[in-house]
Amino acid sequence: MYVGLCLSDPHPDRAGDGSPSRTLSAAYFAGRYHLVDFMLSNMVNSKIYNIGMILNSHYQSLIEHIGMGKEWDLARKSGGVTFFPPYHADERRSVNNELDGPLQRAAAFLAESHHEYVILADSSVVCNIDYRPAIEAHKKSGADITAIYTKKHITAGEREHLIVFKISENGKVIGVDKAGDLSGQINLSLGSYIIPKKTFIQLTAGEKNCGMMHFSKTILAGALDRLVVAAYEFRGYSAHICSPQTFYHYNMEMLDTEKRNALFDFEGRMIFTNARDSLPTKYGTSANIRNSLVADGCQIEGTLINSIICRNVRIGAGAVVKNCILLDGTIVEKNASLDCIISDRMVIISENRNMMGYRTYPVYIEGARVI
Amino acid sequence: MVFAERKECIAMLLAGGRGSRLKSLTEQIAKPAVTFGGKYKIIDFPLTNCVHSGIDTVGVMTQYQPLLLHDYIGKGQHWDLDRLSGGVSILPPHSKPGSTAWYSGTANAVYQNQNFIETFDPDYVLILAGDHVYKMNYRIMLEYHKSVNADCTIAVIEVPIKDAHRFGIMSTDKNDVITEFEEKPEHPKNNLASMGIYIFNWRMLKEYLYEDEKNPTSSHDFGKDVIPSLLRDGKRMFAYRFDGYWKDVGTEESLWQANMDLLDDLHLGFENWHILSRTAGLPPHYIAPTGSIKNTIITEGCEIYGLVENSILSVGVIVEEGAVVKDSVIMENCRISKSAVVEYAILDENVVIAEGAQAGESRAGNGKLNVYSRGTLIETNRFTRRKEDM
Repeated sequence: MYVGLCLSDPHPDRAGDGSPSRTLSAAYFAGRYHLVDFMLSNMVNSKIYNIGMILNSHYQSLIEHIGMGKEWDLARKSGGVTFFPPYHADERRSVNNELDGPLQRAAAFLAESHHEYVILADSSVVCNIDYRPAIEAHKKSGADITAIYTKKHITAGEREHLIVFKISENGKVIGVDKAGDLSGQINLSLGSYIIPKKTFIQLTAGEKNCGMMHFSKTILAGALDRLVVAAYEFRGYSAHICSPQTFYHYNMEMLDTEKRNALFDFEGRMIFTNARDSLPTKYGTSANIRNSLVADGCQIEGTLINSIICRNVRIGAGAVVKNCILLDGTIVEKNASLDCIISDRMVIISENRNMMGYRTYPVYIEGARVI
Repeated sequence: MVFAERKECIAMLLAGGRGSRLKSLTEQIAKPAVTFGGKYKIIDFPLTNCVHSGIDTVGVMTQYQPLLLHDYIGKGQHWDLDRLSGGVSILPPHSKPGSTAWYSGTANAVYQNQNFIETFDPDYVLILAGDHVYKMNYRIMLEYHKSVNADCTIAVIEVPIKDAHRFGIMSTDKNDVITEFEEKPEHPKNNLASMGIYIFNWRMLKEYLYEDEKNPTSSHDFGKDVIPSLLRDGKRMFAYRFDGYWKDVGTEESLWQANMDLLDDLHLGFENWHILSRTAGLPPHYIAPTGSIKNTIITEGCEIYGLVENSILSVGVIVEEGAVVKDSVIMENCRISKSAVVEYAILDENVVIAEGAQAGESRAGNGKLNVYSRGTLIETNRFTRRKEDM
């Protein structure tokens, strides 16, 4: 039996969409999803219904999004989703002086559960994976821990947050490193590990850093001399987001139908998310749309090219939106023009405004700003 | 009931009718389960209205082809109707000592579920139909019912006199007291139509339902039997005037038209009154570089590589390259293959239009509305067969 443990803030110094007020795994993806939807769906699709969610900072929107986990079939009498926010455990009452480490917060939860294994998952990684074959492979291998990775060609974007495995000929992890300047095909960590509960509790005792990099590069790498870590290859699509640039890059990949289908329509496994009951989207008579992904609740009169449009966005007549990601509730008024812009929720672009970024440097507009 | 609070007013929703005027669209499903406006089912409207009106107890009486409807309603969680006390309850016909009876009419259906109603000991019972598209605050109607001290209040709307023969038509005095009621009159005297929404004082209604059951000549229908007998007995009956959007979607043409009305005015939601529904949870829709979409309502999971105009597309519809969709209502998971043309048509769920095939007739050329049954494959030679037979 397995219990899932999701890290909501796997790269604590990183933002996803650029919003300083949103924990990384709450960043938007493909118009209607948040990054965390993928790991939660993966767990549920793998019949893992007992999930702990380690929170670090700015987790309000994440808790709001997940709620009781109803949409993921996680509102249950037994199991479901349990949040582990930071708390102060000493008289100084500061979360920074937490006596137990973030991963230790879940120790009692893990100890009490009757599950033998922990699936530790980086919830900022976007993929559609069934953990069950990996678990089978883990049992057969006789290894102490199994690390899941994918072979990926890395060309652009920020790389220092990516974790790379050195894998021996017999499929064992023999080294853990940052991607750094590596290029070409690398063994990229998917941020998911299958670990016996006892081993996990021992490994993380007293650790104050809940980052995936720290876990992989310090804790796990430090134990490689005494633990056997098997590598399990995932062959599907994956996106690894940790900066506005990678956020932009991987969101834009969703305009590619093959990649989109590989993520959303993969072996019949659905990706679940919170339903908001927006209206359907309405296109007006002057709408002109090319190569765009558009969520429900939008009203579009203008021109839309190569863009990802989240819920309840309005684009007025004569407006031109190109290469943009517009989050929930953005309003683009008549004859405005946007190119390579990421607008956060409820931004208003007034009539005739003209803004431009570049593909490798999209410009981020903070939530609720009026331009 | 494990836990039943007393409720002032509960709703009883009549969802058991076939809606035979919708022909093939309701061969396999009940009318309230018919898709509307891209992402809704007709039953979303009365359920949403109840929730937003603060009525948290709804009995849904089902009978005809209930499988999809039951599945859709679930535990009511999509309308916040999964409640500790009340919420949504599905009420199919059932056998009991001395009788094994189908619902023989609208009044009989409520009669057969009096035990359910009694559990909540309500003062008022709101009777609803599952075949109209509208947004209405029943709470205001209830306040009106109480303020005029009525025994029965019927929601009414003015309809064009030429359509009046399709409705229950009322005459009222200057205080909106109902003086006359005729169900689907051949020669209507008025244009005040019943919307099929009634509020009754439950104690009184219960007596009348018992009386009606004893009458062997009764058809056990609210419009034809119960309301006329209330009128005969001089009960206090009031008309409650409604002037918002209300559309009967009981025929193929009216269903098409009500869908098209959304293109002029997307009246499905405003602040705090969104129509709630059960969504499929698919990715946003995608418009390809070869796609073009104008004056259209569309929702999640669709992929558009062709041309779409003046249409309503439901969840998961695929329009391939070179295909054209015009003036049409396309329901869930239809596929319009390459270079196919769909004009002035309703495509029920899972219809496939094969490559190069033509479905429907040009509306501009005075063609008539064509309806394609669920799961059919339309091929180039216009030979129609069901997918199951392939």
